[in-house]
Amino acid sequence: MTTNSDLKFLIVDDFSTMRRIVRGLLKEIGYNNAEEAEDGSVALNMLKSSKFDFVVSDINMPVMNGFELLSAIKKDDTLKHLPVLMVTAEARKEDIVRAAQDGAAGYIVKPFTKATLEEKVQKIMQKLAATA
Amino acid sequence: MIKMDELECLAPQMAAGASPEVFHQLGLITRQLHDTLTQLGVMPKLQQAADGLPDARSRLNYIAQKTGAAADKVLNLVDRAKSEHQSISSETRRIAAAIVADPVKAVASGAVMNFVGDVESSTERIDRHLTEIMMAQDFHDLTGQVVAKVVSLASELEDSLVKLLVQAAPPEAATKVEAAVLQGPVVSYEGRTDVVQNQGEVDDLLASLGF
Repeated sequence: MTTNSDLKFLIVDDFSTMRRIVRGLLKEIGYNNAEEAEDGSVALNMLKSSKFDFVVSDINMPVMNGFELLSAIKKDDTLKHLPVLMVTAEARKEDIVRAAQDGAAGYIVKPFTKATLEEKVQKIMQKLAATA
Repeated sequence: MIKMDELECLAPQMAAGASPEVFHQLGLITRQLHDTLTQLGVMPKLQQAADGLPDARSRLNYIAQKTGAAADKVLNLVDRAKSEHQSISSETRRIAAAIVADPVKAVASGAVMNFVGDVESSTERIDRHLTEIMMAQDFHDLTGQVVAKVVSLASELEDSLVKLLVQAAPPEAATKVEAAVLQGPVVSYEGRTDVVQNQGEVDDLLASLGF
């Protein structure tokens, strides 16, 4: 397995427990560099003020939800290259389709396993490497 | 809250610049609505359900606190147990290398027996962490009981509001139910074709769209 532990992740979720779980799983699969944001608005400010390589975001959050964050990232010329992996309890097909159409790099429904997260992150990394 | 009997007293004060006839008509309509709802039995039930809302709020806060504390506790204990495991793992590699290099010296120096003692202590600590993790799951029983009470209250409130809606809303509006923008976790998949049930279905859906 090839991983790049220097890559910086931003984990966006209003539940600190879930942020901690995602952070722990990322660490286990080789990504040690991660920061956290409790909603889309905080995340957007962090993305604009610091360099990140990957965003893992929930959808249902207060202030600015995951769809709004995804849209804001894709509209921003300096951020639109960032892969955004949605990790959410939203299981409606229309939400999944919307996320894909809005530019999400992947979609994981909760509850999920470490293997699923690892597979999706690796797949996105491989796509990025192929298009770079 | 303003009571029905107080409305008529308030009306003249509020009527500055407005037609007394308008307020009279409004008063009659309000009185009719109040009487109708009372006759239907909606008002007492609605009042009863509304009175229970602060209690439901505190119960839901309790659930949030209880589950949050349990999650934190478990994650902290897992961190500690993993740290113990890593320690055993690295010590095992170290003592194995020492035995391979010089078995007599490894035993004579006490390194092997020290290792055995360390492993025993470490596994006892891990066992305690596992027991605490098991005990932390007690939130499920406690919050389950509270959830049942909140669900009961919500059902009463829903029942009253549906009756009120049916009475008050125009026919075309009464049947129109707006779906929430975001639904959250799916509690029951029965009869639903608009949601996916697992990650495999998510992947299939995205693949069918060319992603």
